[in-house]
Amino acid sequence: MKTKLTRSRQLVMACTLGLASIGLAHAEKLDAQRINNLSLAATCAACHGTNGINVAGDMMHPINHYSANQLQELLMAYKSDQRQATIMHQLAKGYSDEQIAIIAEVLGKKD
Amino acid sequence: MNRRLFLGQSAALMGASTVGVPKLAFASTASKAKIVVVGAGYGGGTAAKYIRMLSNNSIDVTLIEPNSEFISCPLSNLVVGGVEPISALTSSYDGLVKKHGVNMIQDRVTKIDTQKKHVKLASGKDVPYDKLILSPGIGMNMDSVEGLREANAAGVTLQAWTAGKETVALHKQLAEMPDGGVFALAIPLAPYRCPPGPYERTCQVANYMKNNKPKSKIIVLDANPSIASKGGLFSKAWADMYDGLIDYRPSHNLVAVDAKTKTLKFELADDVKADVLNVLPSMSAASLVVDSDLATVNNRWAEVKFLNFESVVAKDVHIIGDSIQVAPGMPKSGHMANAQAKVTAAAIVAELNDFPINPNPVVTNTCYSFVNGREVVHVASVHQYVAAEQTFRTVEGSGGLSPAPSRLEGVYAWGWARNIWSDTVG
Repeated sequence: MKTKLTRSRQLVMACTLGLASIGLAHAEKLDAQRINNLSLAATCAACHGTNGINVAGDMMHPINHYSANQLQELLMAYKSDQRQATIMHQLAKGYSDEQIAIIAEVLGKKD
Repeated sequence: MNRRLFLGQSAALMGASTVGVPKLAFASTASKAKIVVVGAGYGGGTAAKYIRMLSNNSIDVTLIEPNSEFISCPLSNLVVGGVEPISALTSSYDGLVKKHGVNMIQDRVTKIDTQKKHVKLASGKDVPYDKLILSPGIGMNMDSVEGLREANAAGVTLQAWTAGKETVALHKQLAEMPDGGVFALAIPLAPYRCPPGPYERTCQVANYMKNNKPKSKIIVLDANPSIASKGGLFSKAWADMYDGLIDYRPSHNLVAVDAKTKTLKFELADDVKADVLNVLPSMSAASLVVDSDLATVNNRWAEVKFLNFESVVAKDVHIIGDSIQVAPGMPKSGHMANAQAKVTAAAIVAELNDFPINPNPVVTNTCYSFVNGREVVHVASVHQYVAAEQTFRTVEGSGGLSPAPSRLEGVYAWGWARNIWSDTVG
């Protein structure tokens, strides 16, 4: 399971790096995939804050300290009911595994 | 004026290149495009902010809003019930302007010219656009009930369905009502803004009565055949918490209001006389949308293409929020407007950069309802775009309801509110 998750996320990273290698080296530069990925991850922002940065403090489970790997594992655990929550197990089931990998990559803590 | 704008922009670009800022990554059409957003609520505020963010601040956005502050409709039933002051739901637009560089104009759009592509403001000014995003909220059909327009103008009835003055006034009427008084709440047939809202309001009014005026009661006159959202959860909360305070009457279609005697008249049921009259009429797209011939469904709701929320009848006019004809299972809610705004912003930024539009957009919804001052129930859903049907569908097996009211979800409801307000206008 873990290997599979990691591989799916590596695929996402490879796509991003692939784009970088064809001339969009600046991390902030726009490309179609980046816009799509950011807007997908933005579905989390309504509850967890813009770019996953939580302004509500303890009132909402903070997510911006997780690595991409941790976020992906958490979301997959909610999706498969290995973890329970008030709401997150219901929402996680609405996303494909690939979408979860993208969200984790976008919102995961960067080193 | 166009010429001056053009020169101004050229100068800015030249200035940028001389100080060695990296060359902009966008086609020149993107950086020159004028985006106008109408309405700075959950939809419009979010759309303006995310166009700025997703374009690395390269696209100019003008946001037109008559109010000076953002007041949230979600949670405003807590103001009706006296749990919170309206200030607790009010946010400044400073973040949009100062942090994200959105041009804000405090004014009202009176007319849209979709041919010449500009909007007219109440002040008389014309604002041209290349892309227009309409997020003007909901329209109240005050003429659908005889006598309602006059009664509401006189303050004899209130709707308090757009948070603000009427919300505060409705609480005042409840607070001034004698113990033993009657509060009547009339609910229109769905679809209307915020499906669980009227039933949450019922809880908040009953909660106030329980704590302050226990001899009073709320009569709920619902045009729908049963509770339209979270039915099981609300029925149980009413029975468990507010026994004897709530008189729920389904299939009550309101036809007239007699302001003099404070009486509500129905199609097929007895009149109801009350001390406080909270009347919600049938709803439609905002009048700006209807008057601009964009409400293509029965002159009531605006049809859009769900990949980018562009009107089916007006090119470069995008419509989000409560005014649209929704996809199956898609509620008219603040959270949904925030989600639609992001799909629209991403599509517009992509289009202006000659990128393909995201073929797989996703929107979500979470609605929290307070059953008393602290305990909350939710309904949540995830909607994926289905290309073959050109619409959003709720994902099977996803979403759902709370099992029961809880204080933990009360805390999360406030967390949601703080974060979505910041995501929308912060």
